[in-house]
Amino acid sequence: MMRYLKLTNFELSRFFKIYLVLIGVTFVMQLLGVVFTSNKYLSAIKELLESGMTQEEALKQWGPFSFYNVTSSFWFFAPVALCAASLIIYVLFIWYRDWFGKNTFAYRLLMLPTARINVYFAKATAIFLMVLGLISLQIAFLPIESHLLQSIVPAPYLEEQGINQMISSFDSLRILYPTTFIEYLTHYGVGLMAVLVVFTGVLFERCFRWKGILLGVLFAGISLIVFFLPVIIQEFVLVQFFYPTELFFLMVLTGLIVMTGSILMSNYLLNKKIRV
Amino acid sequence: MIEVKDVTKKFGRKPVLKGVSFTANKGEITCLIGINGVGKTTILNAIMNLTPLNSGEILIDGERINKHSYEKIAFIPDAITMLPNMKISDAMRFMADYYQCWNQKRADEMIGFFKLNPNDRISTLSKGNTAKVNMLLGLAMDVNYILMDEPFSGIDIFSREQIADVFTSHLVEDRGVIITTHEINDIEHLIDKAVLLNEGVVLKEFNAEEIRESEGKSVIDVMREVYLK
Repeated sequence: MMRYLKLTNFELSRFFKIYLVLIGVTFVMQLLGVVFTSNKYLSAIKELLESGMTQEEALKQWGPFSFYNVTSSFWFFAPVALCAASLIIYVLFIWYRDWFGKNTFAYRLLMLPTARINVYFAKATAIFLMVLGLISLQIAFLPIESHLLQSIVPAPYLEEQGINQMISSFDSLRILYPTTFIEYLTHYGVGLMAVLVVFTGVLFERCFRWKGILLGVLFAGISLIVFFLPVIIQEFVLVQFFYPTELFFLMVLTGLIVMTGSILMSNYLLNKKIRV
Repeated sequence: MIEVKDVTKKFGRKPVLKGVSFTANKGEITCLIGINGVGKTTILNAIMNLTPLNSGEILIDGERINKHSYEKIAFIPDAITMLPNMKISDAMRFMADYYQCWNQKRADEMIGFFKLNPNDRISTLSKGNTAKVNMLLGLAMDVNYILMDEPFSGIDIFSREQIADVFTSHLVEDRGVIITTHEINDIEHLIDKAVLLNEGVVLKEFNAEEIRESEGKSVIDVMREVYLK
């Protein structure tokens, strides 16, 4: 257990500098987004006022400014997309850097006096924690950005929003910030399952090289079919047979089967088939 | 004892090891000799479970390799396996963190022996010093067996001498060493047992001391007989 925790800490520290850069870029870009979008709005309002319109008329034409105007801008979305893309790439990179990095660190990881599956768990945990970390920081940034917005846009023009409204106004954030436990389980459970399946695919490739890519794709395909089996049955075999709750629990079950299958297969590959 | 029993290994369709068998005892230096590509590194990787075998078996003190074996056997590959941005001290700390068999006192002693600076980053080291750090990370473990893959490959004469000195020092003591090399001159006189390999087959396995005493031949003499006949 201690070695697993140490490995997780080690994996986190290896990505830490890039992670800090991502956090910095996100924060700065979103702050700039607040400044630019609100200034653009205020300029438009100013133009209307200068043309002789009253405040009410100008507000009627442009509507009040809300945080939604910020979250729907490039400045807000781009860094979120950048973070998501970086983490998706890192799901592959976290393995390949150990084989193709300057010094083949995979040697060292595979010769540690601990179960090799701990390396797999540590990498998965590191990815999961990094995702949660970015999401938590994004939540922490929202009040700061909102505060900045309030200091720029005069109260009559501002439609104030709470954190929940801010999140629900941005579709991509809604995926990342579930509002119920069930949603949380679904979104993050599926995310974790996807990471484990991709990890297993990478290990197939590392074990069998070109043939491994095919095996990895096959494994991912089978995992996908197993996971969606209840839906497939519901749609094509026993049409509308399950209640929504039953369908949900069946998918939780198939999700657990896929995750267990990925872990068992990875354990086998790491112990019996891996090569450096 | 490390027992390699009838091991075969193919890369794709190409056989690399064809029924290789030999043993390496504790307290002896066993040298796997052969030109590049005969499967020396593959044997060491197989002993460490870093490459799967097609058939055969490898036992370490009677057991198949498992997670506990890595506290009993150290592998020093032909290139360092620590992250380039690590300092030597970071690399030692990493080893101390994960291995109960890590001997910090011995590591510090070797820092002095090899005249290394613990604050140097691995990426900034010369080839010779990188080889020394690599050696240090393996030898500072209190293990029964040490595997060394081409420890003299591509390094300058002074570093070679320093590394060769390791074999006569207490750093090796009564441990079992398996070393692969195609440059036998540096350690010819230190070898206890030689295993001559060619095209994935053991051509001859012999006790170097016995050959020296009974037939007056050096390991190189035997190599000439076997490889040039």
